[in-house]
This record gives sequence, C-alpha cells and structure tokens, in this order.
Amino acid sequence: MKKSYIVIGIIVIILIGIFTWFKGSYNQMVSRSEGVSSQWSNVENQYQRRLDLIPNLVNTVKGYAEHEQNTLTQVVEARAKATQMRINFDQLDEKTIQQFNSMQGELSSALSRLMAISEQYPNLKANENFRDLQAQLEGTENRIAVERRKFNEDVKTYNAYIRSFPKNIIANMFGFTVKPYFEAAAGAEKAPEVKF
Amino acid sequence: MIKRFILFLTLVSGICLSLGAQDIPDPMKPRRIVNDFTGLFSKQEQAALERKLRDFNDSTSTQIAVVTVPTLDGYDINDYAARLGEKWGVGQKGKDNGIVLLIKPKNNRESGQVAISVGYGLEGVIPDVIASRVIRNEIIPAFQQGNYYKGVDKALTVLTDLSKGEYTADEYKKKSEGGGIFDIIIGIIIFAVLLSFIFRRRGGGGYSPGHTSGGGFFIFPMGGFGGGSSSGGFGGFSSGGGSFGGFGGGSFGGGGSSGSW
Repeated sequence: MKKSYIVIGIIVIILIGIFTWFKGSYNQMVSRSEGVSSQWSNVENQYQRRLDLIPNLVNTVKGYAEHEQNTLTQVVEARAKATQMRINFDQLDEKTIQQFNSMQGELSSALSRLMAISEQYPNLKANENFRDLQAQLEGTENRIAVERRKFNEDVKTYNAYIRSFPKNIIANMFGFTVKPYFEAAAGAEKAPEVKF
Repeated sequence: MIKRFILFLTLVSGICLSLGAQDIPDPMKPRRIVNDFTGLFSKQEQAALERKLRDFNDSTSTQIAVVTVPTLDGYDINDYAARLGEKWGVGQKGKDNGIVLLIKPKNNRESGQVAISVGYGLEGVIPDVIASRVIRNEIIPAFQQGNYYKGVDKALTVLTDLSKGEYTADEYKKKSEGGGIFDIIIGIIIFAVLLSFIFRRRGGGGYSPGHTSGGGFFIFPMGGFGGGSSSGGFGGFSSGGGSFGGFGGGSFGGGGSSGSW
C-alpha cells in the first residue's frame, strides 16, 4: 500500500517538473518571438522614416538640378514601390524578407546616385536645407543599419532557442517557426556611405 | 592525443583572440569618461574634459563619452560610434541618455573623421541635424586648425546645454548663426580651468579631494559645480585614477551625425 503512494508521489513530482519545464520553455518562446516581432517593427519604422524624408529631398534637389530628371524619377519610382511593401510579422519568411530587402536596396542605390549627382551642384551643396536633409538621411541610414543588426541578433537567439533539443519539440507543437535573417547583401552590415 | 587537444585549444583561443582584436576596444582602466586612445589631448586638456563630463554626469546622469581611436577597422564611423556606445553602455540603462563623441585623428594617409552618436533617449533633444551642425560649426573649424581641445570643448558645451534642456534645439540654430557668445563662455571656462590648475599646484603634492573640490566650488560659481563638493566625484584626476562610476548600460540606435576634415 505504502509503496504505491510513493510511486504516485514520484509520478506527480515528475509531472510537475515536466509541466514547469514545458511552461517555462513555452513562455520563453512567446516572449522571444515578441522580441523579434517588436524589433522587426523597429526596422520597418526606420525604413519608413527614410521614405518620409525622400519627397522633401527630391523637391529640394529639383530646385537646383532640373537636368537630372532621370535620376529623380528613379528615386520617386523606387520609393513608390517600396512604400507599397509592408510585411506583417506573421508573413515574415525567407521570401518576403528578400523581396523587402531588394526593394529597399533598389531605393538605396537610386538614392546614392541622387546624392552623387548633387555633388556637382555647388549651390545645392551650400543650401542649408539640403545639408539638413543630408544629415537626416545619413542618420536614418545609420539607424537602419543598427536596427537591422539588432534584428539579426534577436532572430539568432530566438532561432537557436527554438531549434535546440528538446525545446524544438515544444516549438513544433505550438508552431514556433524559424525566422529569417536580413541578408548581409551589399554590405548591409555596414551603413552605406552617405558622404560625397 | 593530448598534444592534439592542446594544439586545438591554442588554435581556437588564437582565433578568438584575433577576432576580439578586430573588434571595438574595451574602455580604459581605471574607468574614465574621456578615453583618449591616441594621445590627442595633453594631460591638462584630458583632465579638464574629464572634469566637465563627470560633473555633467553627476548632475544629470547624462554621459558623454569622448573617445579617440587610431583606426576604424574598416567600419563606417557612425556605425563604429554606435557600436562602441552600445558595447560600453554609455548612458543610463532605461534612459539611454548617452552620447559618444568619436574622433579618428588625421594621419598621413587618411583624413580625420569625427562622429557624434546619440543614444535613443537623447534623439529628441539632439536630432541629427543639430549633431551635424555641431560638427560643422564647432568641431571641424577648430580641428582644421589642429586645435582639437577647443573643438571638442565647444561641442561639449553645446551638447551639454542641449541635453540639459537649457535651450531647445531650435534656439541653438539661431545662436549658431549669431556666433560670438560661445567664444566668451568657452573663454571663461578655459580661464577658470586654468585657474583651478594653478590653485591645485599651489596646494602641493598632498592635496585632498575635498580641498580641490572646495577650490572648484569657489572658482566656478556659475558652472554647476555647486553640489560637487559633496563627493570625490572629480577627486583624483591628476593621478589618472578617480571615481567615475562607469557607464550605465545605455543603448544606441544610430542617431547622430559625422564629418571629416
């Protein structure tokens, strides 16, 4: 009689142990996933900030460099495309993030061409408004680089967490999936130079 | 077998070390807020900057780290400054009220570069445009004349005033166009610092922190040193030591600006 009590007691303890581990792991996954999600919105916010800067920039440049219609149009078009592309965190996977990356990349290169030609217009370069915009753009590019790096770091710890055994069992049960990284394509780890 | 294992260990640790070497340096020891890795400032200049910044830290908890490095290791300077600020934790945790003023001096091959990286918590009071103006108006002109201390000191005066909330960013725009008034303030500060050195010398070798800070209090009736006499916060600079409490774990998001000369 006594023996069976002990057995039941041990089983209960083991069950409690498993439950605690289960609960702990699950909650960790939730909070880490939330962390990645909020970092993703930080990334998007900084890209949005860049999008918001562009109309002003284009208008300022237009006033001084009318012959550069072509480059200006390219920037405007790249911006229009990038504006349409917003990814919900739930839809975030290898494919969508790559799309996002390449659209923003297109915009980046259009922008850097625009900044390169502004070099040829001394009046534009001396314009206080342009200099301010330039400083803001520079700061925004830096913020993008920083937030991307932080996003990648968060994804790394999250992925490592949900993929390690035996937590991966829980992750599979509750549909925690591996999150994609930002590819370091085009030197994305380092902020693009906005110097001319 | 054991030999192989040892070989493996040395290899791994070697790789780790070489990776570490390329990275952002660690802060100097003993802890200080001016980390001059290139010896850009004289002893007196360093002490003066250190005093100014520690006092500002003591009174507002805002930390402005002045750092000079010989090389950027291929990083963009803004990126480097933000990483350094994040790694060292300049500013207070939660408030993120840190600023990194990073200088890579000019050498024979490369032009000099300077960046102001602003912690998350100060992006509101020191937006990029203002950081850029501080670099263009205060730092670069002085640096071009080779007067590093003057440029840094002027910049710090603006940055401390802005983050103190003494005047808003818009006011600084107007003032920078007027000019002149900063020179006077800086002049007074430099004069006061010089005076304090003279006083310290007179005290001989065995001065006590209390004594010095008393002197500081006397000389700087306007400089916010008022509470300074209470602690040894700026006690032992001349010896290079001191009681800077270290950086507080602030975070950086890449705000700020940069320039070169």
